[in-house]
Amino acid sequence: MSSATLIRIALGAYLLIFFSYLLGPLVVMSLTAFNSSAFPSVSPWACFTFEWFGVLFEDKHIRDGLFYSVLIGIGTVLLSVSMGLAASIVLTQVWPRFRSTYYTMIIAPILIPGVVLGISTLVFWDRVGRFFGAEDGSFFYELFHNGIFLTILGQSSFIASYAMLVFVARLQRFDPGLTEAALDLGATHTQAFRKILLPFMRPAIASASVLAFLASFENYNTTTFTIIDYKTLTTVLAQKVRLGINPSISSLAFIIITLTVFAALIFEAVQRNKSRKDAMRQGRLKPGRGVLPGFLRGNPAAIILVLLSFFVIAMVGTAQSYSPEQCKIRVKEARQIEIQKRIEALQKARAEERAKAAEEAEDAVPAAPSPSNSGAFGNVFAPGNLSGEEESEAVPEPAPQGGSGAFGNVFAPNNLSEDTPDEPEAPQGGTGAFGNVFAPDNLSGSE
Amino acid sequence: MSSGVAVDLENITIRFGDFTAVKDANVNINGGDFFSFLGPSGCGKTTILRAVSGFLEPSEGRVLIGGNDMAGIGPNKRPTALIFQNLALFPLMTVWENISFSMEVAGASAKERRRRADELLDMIALPGQGDKLPSELSGGQKQRVAIARALCANPDVLLLDEPLSALDLKLRQHMRTELREIQQRVGITFIYITHDQGEALTMSDNVAVMKSGVIDQIASGHEIYDHPATPFVASFVGENNVFRGRIKSIEGGEAIISTNRSGDLVARITPAEIGKLSVGDEAMMFVRPEAFEVAPEQGGTGKNLVSAKAVNEEFEGNSFSVFLEGDGGKLIKMSVPNLGQDRISTRGHDLTLRYEPSNAVVMRAGELASE
Amino acid sequence: MKRNLPFSEFFRNNGPVMGSILIGLVAFWLIFLILLPQLSMLDYSFRFNLPPADVGGPKDVYTLSNYEYLIYGSDESKQSFNTVDLKVFVRTILAAMVVTVFNIVLCYPLAYFLGQAKGAGVARLFVVLLIIPYWINEILRAFALRIIFGETGLLNEALMFLHLASEPIDFIRQDVALYAGLGYAYILLMLFPMYNVIESLDRNQIEAARDMGASWVHIHRRIVIPHAKPGIASGSTMVFMLSAGALAAPQILGGPSSLWFTQLVYQWFNDSLNWQQGAAYAIVLLVSTIAIVLTFMRVFKVNMGDIGK
Repeated sequence: MSSATLIRIALGAYLLIFFSYLLGPLVVMSLTAFNSSAFPSVSPWACFTFEWFGVLFEDKHIRDGLFYSVLIGIGTVLLSVSMGLAASIVLTQVWPRFRSTYYTMIIAPILIPGVVLGISTLVFWDRVGRFFGAEDGSFFYELFHNGIFLTILGQSSFIASYAMLVFVARLQRFDPGLTEAALDLGATHTQAFRKILLPFMRPAIASASVLAFLASFENYNTTTFTIIDYKTLTTVLAQKVRLGINPSISSLAFIIITLTVFAALIFEAVQRNKSRKDAMRQGRLKPGRGVLPGFLRGNPAAIILVLLSFFVIAMVGTAQSYSPEQCKIRVKEARQIEIQKRIEALQKARAEERAKAAEEAEDAVPAAPSPSNSGAFGNVFAPGNLSGEEESEAVPEPAPQGGSGAFGNVFAPNNLSEDTPDEPEAPQGGTGAFGNVFAPDNLSGSE
Repeated sequence: MSSGVAVDLENITIRFGDFTAVKDANVNINGGDFFSFLGPSGCGKTTILRAVSGFLEPSEGRVLIGGNDMAGIGPNKRPTALIFQNLALFPLMTVWENISFSMEVAGASAKERRRRADELLDMIALPGQGDKLPSELSGGQKQRVAIARALCANPDVLLLDEPLSALDLKLRQHMRTELREIQQRVGITFIYITHDQGEALTMSDNVAVMKSGVIDQIASGHEIYDHPATPFVASFVGENNVFRGRIKSIEGGEAIISTNRSGDLVARITPAEIGKLSVGDEAMMFVRPEAFEVAPEQGGTGKNLVSAKAVNEEFEGNSFSVFLEGDGGKLIKMSVPNLGQDRISTRGHDLTLRYEPSNAVVMRAGELASE
Repeated sequence: MKRNLPFSEFFRNNGPVMGSILIGLVAFWLIFLILLPQLSMLDYSFRFNLPPADVGGPKDVYTLSNYEYLIYGSDESKQSFNTVDLKVFVRTILAAMVVTVFNIVLCYPLAYFLGQAKGAGVARLFVVLLIIPYWINEILRAFALRIIFGETGLLNEALMFLHLASEPIDFIRQDVALYAGLGYAYILLMLFPMYNVIESLDRNQIEAARDMGASWVHIHRRIVIPHAKPGIASGSTMVFMLSAGALAAPQILGGPSSLWFTQLVYQWFNDSLNWQQGAAYAIVLLVSTIAIVLTFMRVFKVNMGDIGK
């Protein structure tokens, strides 16, 4: 075998690994959205189902979170895009000697950990709020302790840097002579800005806005500190993922992935169509005749886009009529025995875990709770606990948590039950703290 | 169209930090004149233009337009319109929107603007091109749109910053004529910036020659060519042979200069230096290539004769350039008109060159324009 | 000709209205969203956690106790050092470095491949494929890894099915999931800066070097990597800072017994409601990560201006 072939094989293997690492988890997650198993998994495969989408759409917290995410996203776009644009314009005019210092100042927010930005925003505006009115209820106090207001400020503080980078790239191609020409022709500075610079920056403003919105929509590290008593989609998701895994999150991920793929394909298809038209206008490409309509020709992205649209339409159509009832009953019966076995095994593990946790909890200092108190915190992540918390979706009363430290109760089941008040399921007796996750009735309960 | 308005620069000095871009410039431009600032790049001519248009305030001195002090008045309030070196047409607007931009910002209706733009398009001989984008026009067409756009603002003074530099030679020559025609038709004051002496000399009523922030001479084109005030002007405008030396004697309007390598030569003292030059001064004498001719009597000596050996020859079409080497390796260029076939090749011959003393000028030594 | 207009002429060039708006927005951003918040966090970190009634009172004095706590622990603790928190800190920094190196190694070949393909055919598809995960929520990406690495996750199922493991491996407790998740979360911030600089490398340079008999290793060491240095530096800085400051991935993928430093900060704020202590921890995180980045930038001779390109 020649070395060239060897390199080729190595490259292929490397690309396969890279893209598996990058895309594999997303594919697996998408698939779990269609498995009727209450725990998101692809194996064992129970039944093909759309029910998790139903659960998702019913979830009030997700809907509220989505609303606030969009609200905050819009606010952040407005603030960060205007600040980023202003900063980039100033960058082109600042004293040459001061330029690199100034650039460091406006790029730094990207590098400051989001956690730090969130905290500093919270601390600073709390102080400003107290300065304006110490007692609760005054307008400024309320405003500066409002989660939406603070989150917009906190997110904008670094998203403006991203926007600034987009603008700097475009401004490099702007001829300042155009603004001067406008001024010379009698325009005021404001008119010159509005009629000359702004139209030139429009594409950059559009992409910066999309970028800013996505960054805001995704943000967790900063938001989790500044949001206070509101929720965004991301904080709701984080809470759900940390406390109780449920395939309805997979179904949300599937929707987002599908939308992303659509957006990427549309973008790509439009780009190709544009370059094809340019080529045609310049006479490099002859408008040939074929079976396909013009915009599809030589445009794989557009073809995939059309096919994908058909697929999604077909899927939504199927979801309206498809019912996995028969399958589910079969699976239910088949798993009954296995479940019984697992319950026993888990119970045993759970008992050990409790004993261990209790031991560790003794070391904890109750007066000054220390974050190093990993024993108490650890409960959340204990494997047994995971299933235990899922149970709480069905059980609206606190289950005993062994050895919860001072802050273990943050994650206590009653918090969780608030998340899912629309689950009318009654407590399942007898099977232990977490047995009912696997209880057959639980599956049908959500229908 | 408004008639020409005078522009006066009084003791203008412009500094950027430690750097002085323009030093004590005094210029009076008559209303309706075509006035050029000529100089190599970096000489400060664009800076002067920006001070007139209002993009910067002079550090010292005043800019007067029509007798009014322009201090503190921004570019959008001055009765000037500037045509930029790169034209600065707005790429996202159509041609007619570009032309009528000054009306748009003044709040004119679209119909009115369109009508005026079409008028101007007719004037610049681009009828019916109003809906195109600037990127769809050729270089010369863009040029004319930029002029129309500037004229649409009804300026009293039109400022042009090397607007022809991006065009190819033929078009540039054509546009010179056209610009001059437009200027005569609209009758307003044109201030033109260029490093191309051909442009300055053909179009202008008056030319100011600038060198590193200082105006060396202000005069009409042929005066600058024939009576340069400084060695810089003599060497920058047109081609010149320079002979360095010391003044040996002065008699009336003429001086004899003892040159370093070519012996004693006689020349007319340039008008600006009459009465200022004295015996013993370091001086420079300039003789243009076309002022030399092959002396009818070879081998003679005289104060208007230079002997040299022809080493090379270049054919220029209407003339030949002959390159000669004088005593001590002194390089001399002579231009011989092409008079047809009965011309004798001079290459390799030792020649005696002759010139009319009135066609040579002498002045105090100074800085030359670098090639 | 590009003129660098003197900044003192800023208002003259932009007009009083636009000039004020521009300066106002930048000043608001830098002063009210960056500078003052950071300063008040710094101020907070030197104060005691007092009940509201005592704030501003005689007990409200500056103290180093919050920083002392990180180093020595509470007075009641018997150890001389706060080993638990210090261990978390060191582990966070080291792990963030490991994640950064891992990302450099993983991304370099692909960045080179894509950069040299210059947006042709397959490479273009790859770029689209790369951007898709970038748009997916960080939480959801961590969630996806959790599905894979969970006790009954795909990986364990696969290992058991292939009889490579007799019982489920706890990837979460072993922190495998966390490292994989951190590497996964910010990989594109490494890839794209690298890709951008390598794309700007003239192919002829490589051809010329090869023509002169240089080996592949030599070509990369002498030509490609020096050219790609700003991109690598930019990517490394972002990956390191974001990994060290990550919160979502450790919360979702972290093992029960091992915390990330940001989690400590989070707990001080949200669970213990001791903002002062949390602020001190945040300052330590900020200062130490910036110091590390600046040190590395100095060692590798990279300018701040390269970041973000």
